[in-house]
Amino acid sequence: MSSNRVLEVEGVTKVYGKGDNKTEALRGISFDVLEGEFLGIMGASGSGKTTLLNCIATMIKPSSGRVLLKGKDISAFKGVQLADYRGQEIGYLFQEFELLDNLTARENIILPLSLHGVTGHQAEQGLKELANRLDITDVLDKFPSQMSGGQKQRVAAARALISKPSIVLADEPTGALDSKNSKVLMDKLSAINKEQNKTIVMVTHNANAASYCSRILFIQDGRLFHELRKNIETENSASFYERIVTVMAQLGGGSANVL
Amino acid sequence: MLGMKRSTLFAMLMGETIWNSLISILIGLPIALFLTEGISLATVKLVGLGIIGHRISFSISAVIGTVIGFIAVQMIAMLLLSASFSRKEPMELLRSDSPEKQVPLSTKKGWLCFIVGLVFLILAYVVGVTMLRSFDFNIVMLIIILGGGGTFLLYRGMGIFIGHNIQRKSPMRSGLFTFTGRQIHENVIHQYKALAISSLLLVMALACVSFGIGTASGRGSMEVRTVDFSIEGSEQEVREVLDSEASKSIISEYYPMFLSRMNTNLYDQSGEILEKRPEAHDFSWDGLNATLAKLPETDLRNNMIESFSDRSGPYLISKASYNELLQAIGKEQIQLKRNQVALYTSMKDSGDFMSILNGALELGAYIEVDDQKYELLSSVYYDNVVADRKITLYSALIVPDEDYRNWVSGASTPFCWNVVLSQELVNDKGLMQAIQLMEQNLAGTGLEYETFLSGIGRNLFYTVAASYLTIYLGILFMVIANTVIGLKYLMQQRANERRYTTLLMLGANVSQLCKSARSQIRMFFALALSVAVCSSIFAIWSMFTSFLKLPAGTSIVKVIAITGIAAVLFVVIELIYIHIVERASSREIQALQVIDRG
Repeated sequence: MSSNRVLEVEGVTKVYGKGDNKTEALRGISFDVLEGEFLGIMGASGSGKTTLLNCIATMIKPSSGRVLLKGKDISAFKGVQLADYRGQEIGYLFQEFELLDNLTARENIILPLSLHGVTGHQAEQGLKELANRLDITDVLDKFPSQMSGGQKQRVAAARALISKPSIVLADEPTGALDSKNSKVLMDKLSAINKEQNKTIVMVTHNANAASYCSRILFIQDGRLFHELRKNIETENSASFYERIVTVMAQLGGGSANVL
Repeated sequence: MLGMKRSTLFAMLMGETIWNSLISILIGLPIALFLTEGISLATVKLVGLGIIGHRISFSISAVIGTVIGFIAVQMIAMLLLSASFSRKEPMELLRSDSPEKQVPLSTKKGWLCFIVGLVFLILAYVVGVTMLRSFDFNIVMLIIILGGGGTFLLYRGMGIFIGHNIQRKSPMRSGLFTFTGRQIHENVIHQYKALAISSLLLVMALACVSFGIGTASGRGSMEVRTVDFSIEGSEQEVREVLDSEASKSIISEYYPMFLSRMNTNLYDQSGEILEKRPEAHDFSWDGLNATLAKLPETDLRNNMIESFSDRSGPYLISKASYNELLQAIGKEQIQLKRNQVALYTSMKDSGDFMSILNGALELGAYIEVDDQKYELLSSVYYDNVVADRKITLYSALIVPDEDYRNWVSGASTPFCWNVVLSQELVNDKGLMQAIQLMEQNLAGTGLEYETFLSGIGRNLFYTVAASYLTIYLGILFMVIANTVIGLKYLMQQRANERRYTTLLMLGANVSQLCKSARSQIRMFFALALSVAVCSSIFAIWSMFTSFLKLPAGTSIVKVIAITGIAAVLFVVIELIYIHIVERASSREIQALQVIDRG
């Protein structure tokens, strides 16, 4: 069903350095992401998962291969087209939140919209809905330094979602959060994925967070190593978690990959 | 982190500082020498000496002093910096690029700072303009405390103002308006000290440059050459030299200057006779004092009345001598009728003094000699009567030759012989060399003389010291202020690099970011400049109404023209600085685009 294929990654490679110093971070990765999917990408440190996400986010140019979003080759984007893609087609959730700490939560959230000519007044309705859903209404007029880590990440999530992007890319979104806040965030993301059919691609090495996904790609040394699919009708998160941990043990990534 | 001792690290930093200082000095000293020689050559050219007459001066002790001073300042600065670093944990140092957190000031405190700062500044302006009549230490200190403190408090509270404004406007605006505003807001909150210091430095820069221009214009008006040489000696000796073939070709004319005191008794301050003199005349300024008393009362007027109450022998200049002088400089000669005299003073640079004197003369002042009234002409005469500027006459009377002979004992001996050099020679060789030629003729004759140049030399020293130095200082302050503002901004931008990268990720394009940075830079400069320009207007106003009164004869058009040029130069320098900072900032933003964050 090519009609609901949101993202197509075709033979993407990424090589850093030259000659003897050459490092192959990605060695030809191909996969598709369907609309409404919650895809997890897992792998050991240095396996290339963040590089892959950054290639999709246009933060890194692949050395070869193509990344297609809704059938358009995003690696060829430049200038205004690139800025529009980043601002409107993708929402990005960073591990360290990357909120602008001199802007209030409200100003941070509507930033992607204001960059494309929408005023605060016009964005107010969408902002309210998202703030309610993510439980951040109380902190809208606060600066990041006045918020907890969990609140910051939820504000960052609101910023990633405000422009109603085709796909949300999350790079270890629970990496800087404690387990309680991680659970709150993953519950919210999962709910948004299910209720709004929002496509999410999440890089993580946290098996707990990964158990919220509907499909997981395991990467090792820049190649696809394994794929796990959650049986949504018959399988609960706990048993999916068991399967994830088993694959991670097979990966042999050491303690970094085990909770 | 890797186990290096603090002491080793400290020694390394200090060693690096000394090394850097030495290199800076090696490069800087020759440039400084080159510049100072350039300035002194320009000065020499101004007086017509020509390059041949210029001697290069070089002082080893000054060089050593400069080197030691420079290194000491660098070491102290490094010491202070190291002290602040040594208090930090290694983790803080590792993350030294993290920007300071945004902590909103309490609104009340912010408003209080802003209002108190504003009141202080206004008070400083009022005190400066109304109370600073002369260099009164207490008043100057009061102005410095009010002005400096006010500027600091104003910038301290300004953050609240800006934050308020952004909160009000941002819902209506799109693009990077909010981000730009918040960046400025943050810069003002964190850099208020730098802003205040830069602003004060700019005030000093503007005031120094204005003072320099004022002094230069004031002194410039005095440079009317009336006499090139004043020679003392007997008529025969003087004529022998001046009529010689060698002198004739370089002199356009010479004449005796009859200047002496009237033969009167000597009186003390209370008017009692201190010493009786034979054939003494009875003199009084009462007629002039009576008209002075009719003028509005000021401290200066009262001082003048007191000075003119002295009945001891006033200075007299014979009309013929003075007319010779007027003729030499192409001015209209004085016509004195019977029982008429004219008032002379060399205090022409004091505008107030001259205007009071003119005011009194217009009311019909007179003097009395031996109970005979002599009417004073309605205008004051002030052209230098001798070549030496050191000789000043608070007041003198230009009197008909017959009266001069009657009132002065020994009236047949002139005070000196004035010589005017040939204008063609001066045009051809420059004044300095023309005077040197004449000096060769006078050498060995035993005659004592003063030249216009030795007078102008003293004068030039004041001009150079007061005007060039203050203009130079002004430019220095301006450069420092602009560098502080520019560097502070660029450092802040560097510290906030991640914000720009995040914005790029959120869909901002590079040109939007560059535009935002440009607005931030312009606003940052404008904030420092606006207060500085406002304060400078009052500072300059206060300066020109108190201790830097322009001489009466100064051409207003000339001063306005020079000030205009200086103002344009100031604006141009500011624009260049802003442009340089903008380019540096744009380069940094453009470099962000290619950074791989993996």
